[in-house]
Amino acid sequence: MNEIVEQIGVCIERGKVNQSSPYPNDMKGQVGADELAKEALGAGVGPDEILSACNDGMKRIGERFSRSEVFVPELLMAAKAMNAVMAHLKPYFQTGAVKAKGKLVIGTVAGDLHDIGKNLVAMVVEGNGWEVVDLGVDVKAQKFIDAINKNPGCVVGLSALLTTTMANMMKIVKDIKSQLPSTRVIVGGAPLTQKAADEMGADGYAPNPQGAVAFLNSAGQV
Amino acid sequence: MNLLETAIEGNVFEVHIKYDDLRISRREVELTLGYMDAEIPPHFSGMIDDALLELKGRCEIKAGYRLTEVARPPGRYDGLLVGGNFLRMDKIVTSQLKKSERAAVFVCTIGSSMETWARGLMKDGDPAMGYIADTTASVAAEAVTNLLHDHIGERMLSQGMRITNRYSPGYCNWSVSEQHLLFSLLPKDFCGVTLSESALMSPIKSVSGVIGVGTLVRRKDYICDRCGVKDCTYRSKRPAATNQKTSHIETSGT
Repeated sequence: MNEIVEQIGVCIERGKVNQSSPYPNDMKGQVGADELAKEALGAGVGPDEILSACNDGMKRIGERFSRSEVFVPELLMAAKAMNAVMAHLKPYFQTGAVKAKGKLVIGTVAGDLHDIGKNLVAMVVEGNGWEVVDLGVDVKAQKFIDAINKNPGCVVGLSALLTTTMANMMKIVKDIKSQLPSTRVIVGGAPLTQKAADEMGADGYAPNPQGAVAFLNSAGQV
Repeated sequence: MNLLETAIEGNVFEVHIKYDDLRISRREVELTLGYMDAEIPPHFSGMIDDALLELKGRCEIKAGYRLTEVARPPGRYDGLLVGGNFLRMDKIVTSQLKKSERAAVFVCTIGSSMETWARGLMKDGDPAMGYIADTTASVAAEAVTNLLHDHIGERMLSQGMRITNRYSPGYCNWSVSEQHLLFSLLPKDFCGVTLSESALMSPIKSVSGVIGVGTLVRRKDYICDRCGVKDCTYRSKRPAATNQKTSHIETSGT
């Protein structure tokens, strides 16, 4: 039993989605995360245990990404394998048998269309057991505030790539904090630094997707 | 490379660039994906080949520029008068363009078909292929910009003038909101590129900016060390990776 669960984690880390997936090369023809998740549930493995294995797999690939041992495509393949498992776990989330760790409302700030980084964070965070509400790109403060009101207790993630949209990010953080002061806000993106995040009043700064997960998990979200 | 150009009106020119002019290699895309020293898994190399094949059919290149006057208002170091509009460029860009006698205000695009395809792939559950398609499109947009930049350089050289590096709103502390002023210097919907209220270009895979022209200016190999934005996404790019003279490219949408 443990072997199947462990293998699910390996498939997530390696991005092995299912048997027909040719990636990665050295796992060609082998069963993937999709088949293993189905088999594990059929054998009576608890969905929590499967989710935990997924989180471990995502954590490992996230750490390798942070060390520049792998790049965005590998991370996206891992996210795809994760999604294959999540499709099997979805009914358990709906019945409440498995609970999401919390909710992240995420978006690229007004004045910026770049969404690759934001999408990566969303996928990795989701793969770590969080529910994600993705507001898209070029998002103004009011849209974030509306989403927070619709999702009480959520954490908010702001992304930017353009150096000059950091001013918009600062305004959005200030608007959120002035209207909904208890909302935790995390920021990230190429031009950001911890110093910039502190100056704009954000609660956290994530230099990469794994950093966002670490912040969220430490935030103790309900 | 000799590219054809057509005068649209006054000093506004459309430059004709074909897909075959771009000569994008798989390696260029690999480098942009980050595989500089690490070996790329063969699966992703295959995906790049697929994306490049798709690019050929989806590239809708348009490029052009307007030549206009440049002046530096006395005592001001935060921008220049370009075509009669004061562009507040911050001191980094201003200092690089201050010796220009004229400016080429440019825009170019590869159209929206690649971005639509890439988004569709991401939405339909193939994020890795979508990302590689998007990156390939970005490489193509930069390749178009490089060709346009080189073309403007050759045209100006034939008139005894030289050019500077290119600069775009959104980078080097030049606010992206200045796009509206920049676009006001060009004919309406020039090259099919439009601006949103937040000054973002559509199609996304478009590049706009300013190149200085004059007898006292020059194009430099590497200028990122002049810029205070240490965490800029383009800082880590090497000229070899992007196949261009300036490593600090200023794309607004790529």
